[in-house]
Amino acid sequence: MNRIGVFLCHCDLNFSGDMDLQRVVDGISEHKDVAYATYCRDMCLDLGLESVQKSIQEENLDGVVLTSCSEALHRDAFIEAMETVGLQPHQVNIVDLKQLVGWPHSYQGEESTMKAIDALSASVDDLRRHVSTSVSNVSVVKRALVIGGGIAGIQASLDIADGGYEVILVEKTSSVGGHMIQYSEVFPTLDCPQCIETPKMVEVGQHPNIKLYPYSEVESVVGEAGNFTVTIRKKASYVDWDKCNGCGVCQQKCPTIVPSEFQRGLPFGPRRAIYIPFAQAVPNKPVLDREHCGHFTTGLCQVCSKVCPREAIDYEQVDMFVEEKVGAIVIATGFELMPKSGVPEYEQDKDILEGIEFERLLCPGGPTAGEILRLSDGKSPKEVVFVGCCGSRDPEHGVPYCSRVCCMYLTKMALLYKHAVHDGQAYMCYIDLRTTGKGYEDFVQRAVEEYGLVYLRGKVSKIFREGEKIKVLGADTLTGNSVEISCDMVVLGLAMMPSPGIKELANKLGVKTDEFGFISEVHPKLHPLETSVPGIFVCGTAQGPKDIPDSVSQGGAAASKVLGLFSKDELTVQKVAVG
Amino acid sequence: MAKKLERIGVFVCHCGQNIAGSVDVDKVVEEIIKYPGVVHAEHYMYMCSDPGQELIRQAIREKDLNGIINANCSPSLHEKTFRRVVSSEGINPYHQEVANIREHCSWPHSRDRDMATRKAIAIIKATVERLRLNMALIPSVIPLTKRALVIGAGMAGIQAALDIANSGYEVVLVERNPAIGGHAAQLSGTFLTLDNALCLVAPMIGDVINHPKITLYTYSEVHQVDGYVGNFEISVRCKATYVDEEKCNHCGLCVGACPASAPSEFDRGLSERKAIYFPQPEVVPHPPILEVKNCLRFNGGECNACQEVCPTGAIDYTCQDTIAEESVGAVIAAMGYDLFPRDRIGEYEIDPDVIDGLQFERMLSPNGPTGGKIVRPSDGKVPKEVVFIQCCGSRDPEHGVIYCSRVCCMYTAKQALLFKKDVPDGQAYVFYMDIRTDSKGFEQFQKQAVEEEQILYLRGRVSKVFRDGDKVKVWGTDTLTGKSVEIDADLVVLALGIVPSDGAKAMARELNIISDVNGFLTEAHLKLRPVETLTSGIYLAGTAQWPRDLPDTIASASGAASKVLSLFSRKELLHEPTIAFVDEDICVGCGQCVSVCTYKAIELDPKKKVAKVNEAVCEGCGACAATCPSKAMKHKNWTPSQFFEILDVATRGYT
Repeated sequence: MNRIGVFLCHCDLNFSGDMDLQRVVDGISEHKDVAYATYCRDMCLDLGLESVQKSIQEENLDGVVLTSCSEALHRDAFIEAMETVGLQPHQVNIVDLKQLVGWPHSYQGEESTMKAIDALSASVDDLRRHVSTSVSNVSVVKRALVIGGGIAGIQASLDIADGGYEVILVEKTSSVGGHMIQYSEVFPTLDCPQCIETPKMVEVGQHPNIKLYPYSEVESVVGEAGNFTVTIRKKASYVDWDKCNGCGVCQQKCPTIVPSEFQRGLPFGPRRAIYIPFAQAVPNKPVLDREHCGHFTTGLCQVCSKVCPREAIDYEQVDMFVEEKVGAIVIATGFELMPKSGVPEYEQDKDILEGIEFERLLCPGGPTAGEILRLSDGKSPKEVVFVGCCGSRDPEHGVPYCSRVCCMYLTKMALLYKHAVHDGQAYMCYIDLRTTGKGYEDFVQRAVEEYGLVYLRGKVSKIFREGEKIKVLGADTLTGNSVEISCDMVVLGLAMMPSPGIKELANKLGVKTDEFGFISEVHPKLHPLETSVPGIFVCGTAQGPKDIPDSVSQGGAAASKVLGLFSKDELTVQKVAVG
Repeated sequence: MAKKLERIGVFVCHCGQNIAGSVDVDKVVEEIIKYPGVVHAEHYMYMCSDPGQELIRQAIREKDLNGIINANCSPSLHEKTFRRVVSSEGINPYHQEVANIREHCSWPHSRDRDMATRKAIAIIKATVERLRLNMALIPSVIPLTKRALVIGAGMAGIQAALDIANSGYEVVLVERNPAIGGHAAQLSGTFLTLDNALCLVAPMIGDVINHPKITLYTYSEVHQVDGYVGNFEISVRCKATYVDEEKCNHCGLCVGACPASAPSEFDRGLSERKAIYFPQPEVVPHPPILEVKNCLRFNGGECNACQEVCPTGAIDYTCQDTIAEESVGAVIAAMGYDLFPRDRIGEYEIDPDVIDGLQFERMLSPNGPTGGKIVRPSDGKVPKEVVFIQCCGSRDPEHGVIYCSRVCCMYTAKQALLFKKDVPDGQAYVFYMDIRTDSKGFEQFQKQAVEEEQILYLRGRVSKVFRDGDKVKVWGTDTLTGKSVEIDADLVVLALGIVPSDGAKAMARELNIISDVNGFLTEAHLKLRPVETLTSGIYLAGTAQWPRDLPDTIASASGAASKVLSLFSRKELLHEPTIAFVDEDICVGCGQCVSVCTYKAIELDPKKKVAKVNEAVCEGCGACAATCPSKAMKHKNWTPSQFFEILDVATRGYT
């Protein structure tokens, strides 16, 4: 390349405010390989691109360096526009001056100008090394992999499957349903997930286009958009699910009692070593927990194997690996709550619960059959304090972001608590009340007016046991007074974190995450579902905290991206060869 | 009359403790098995689960059942599940009925176990009587036009249209304004990334205009919608622009010559435009339009300045509105939002220096009336003290609306930040009630505004805004110190709430979909069917449904597109057969049913003088059957004789 042109986008006043564009143009013009340099307005618009095209033809350029705000957003349009004037992708470089210079060096005119010249001249040097563009076509495998069988993954799977394509749904636990199925009733309609989510779970289990891999994990992924090869690890359940009919005799007879993950380890609702996680599980098949099973720990027990009428127990089973070819991947791995120990000022105590534990207490299918009891003494709590922002919005101890759902779920729990304990009193400590969804504001009003919930604006500084009671020390920032409540039970609205193992999975897939582990989208505004790898999409809380309606609508939206991809038979892939 | 079903099985679900907690399910089974026609009854913890369904299948096979009753939750939840189960065993799905003993029984009578149990038994017995008279039905097959209509070409409409078109289906996109892009095109740097809105929106607008699968009608309105899912007939009124698109060469001489001017809608009155003008010239080349309201010629004047200067003879004063007809199979409603009407907040004086959020956006926009400079509209000076007031109209049931508008906290923080970038020695104040920055990166963004730009956040409402000489006085309270606050501001920016777009209600009526008390369109289920409506084939996207920001709008639009794509992936559609039918021997053709039908599904046969039901349109609501004075109009499987049987059995022992 002998005649390289450099075109700076004025990008209006967005980032050029501190940078001296004319000096950048003068500076880069001195580069020995640069034949032409200029800046123009609105390069992302047709009018702007036309002026670039005109200059390329007039100056007879054979390579260009363009600047833009977000490369991800504009790359395709730029490449396409350059192709119309005869430049191939290897003859075009794009430099994101906004993120590289504009933002980190705002108010530093001189430095930003110099850095911009350096960045552009490095890009010119890089462009000189580009030799050719190779074009290949990938035929699209019209099957999708969905990772995670919570409500977002369920919705994405159903929408893709209803669109007529096959879906491979991988879920690491032994049933689909995710966190939603653990909840009692969901805000603001107070539907019970056992009623509204189970039809979708059953549909996933029965859909002719959905191939469900429960108790499985994605082991490795190779390939590219349109053609990925996925290896799935089917974890040993020690039960032959083809033979098993889900009768449940094994878990009735198993002598080993283990705290149940589904019941969040609450004392009233343990499971056995061989267990179906909950009554509505899809599929309704047990898994054997090797770590606790008597057969594996002592070698003596064989009860499940003896009582199984179908001879489905297989102690010799090992993990199996299956390969599947897919054209697109949807990440829907969901969230986990921050551990209670994350906030050291709040003592570890049986009567200090986290949100999902309290959900299990409220749930008719929970360990107390919906009765609200103190775990310490089994008494009905008369005063309960709900504490918002435990770990959220707290960069010192926890995470700086807001978890988005806690204001609403704590309000809902307080309301359901009042349904169960009519003479009880509920308090809610919050920083800002964030109830922005449809019907949410009305819901909180109702909780205050009809149920007499007391809202206290302020952070809770300390929670500890004092005899029979739990003491909550906080502040009411509206009166400026400190607040001290002696209560019977405390429920913590702990921060939402990405599901454990997300970073490992992101590495396998090659997608980027943010510092907390949430999957990064290509562009937060216009491409909220696309990840940094083409053909891989994200939905639900794997992307960031969100509530059920937003997760469902994102699940559907990710499906629409997959359906769009599958409407093509071939994808064209361009690769730049470097000399 | 259908043959009576005499081998009925009853399956009672515990629904965990939801039903079994207040209904004695053992007793129910014990009683119901004695009832004539019932040959099998059992109960189980979760009948909808896989093993529950297997119990039903097994009983059908073993006991040779020909009618099934599921006593559980509302039919809206699991009727489909159980109908699928019975069909898999070769029984007509309409020989299965749900007896709702949860919403109708165990929940309302949770404190009286005896009463709840008796009522559950009565409900099941009544359902047995109804089931006996059920006809075996087969869903009807209706054709499917694989083209979609998208109403509104803001960001939601554009995204939905692109998603559908990119999957290979044709889209008709209708926008009532002369330019597309909606409110997003009016914005400056958008929050979080501070990307210029135009940089984001313009490429998408270009994609829409150049897309071979998208037919775009701008300056047009959908004025009539007929038909039903798969087969909608739409008529679009294309408003006259008085400029011949073919002849116009975009030279702009007409605009220069036009003597009449009006406030620019796009700049929200901060600049003037002519009566003939280019809508959004910077986005796409588009011929000018002539607006009748402000044109001298159309208001009694003699002017023909534009026609005189036009070198190509493109101006045509005789131009008329035209009507275009389109057939589509699905509709996406994306009519967007407006700001809460400013004049309804009487306490905040109308003043040139008290502007709304969108006006401030125009001011911040490089292509706006001030070229991106922040100035006071009254005197053109740079304002040093700017007060931003959040929740204007929102969260204020007395003056405005009860709900939160969801985007104001973030856009105010962003506007204050951009103000500080432009006027580094200025001071920004923000009055707020709660800071709601609950999406990815929002919290950090707002914190940065407070910490780095020293924007002063005051928690409290503003009681009065009025002019005081050169300044605008702002009276408010700081609820954190409990003190009242008084600020002499140079400029006040009101974060007005989001309300549904003007005309959205009328459009909802035309589409036959529901809107809520606030005028936002109502979804089929808030949590699990957020982009569908109760009218099949019609979907929702963006702020027409609820206030939301750009990422959420994009996601909801793609979600709606995915529903359309799913619909279009089918060859044909099946229509629920539990609909109205006419006994032609009895019908006298009075036409009362025609007038009560909201779906426009009934017409009078002119020859036979009897009512005729369009089976594909009828949704089976039953209004006609209830209205018919001669009982000629009936509802399949909800006939009067079934009702009387139900009433008879259900009330036995209570009268």
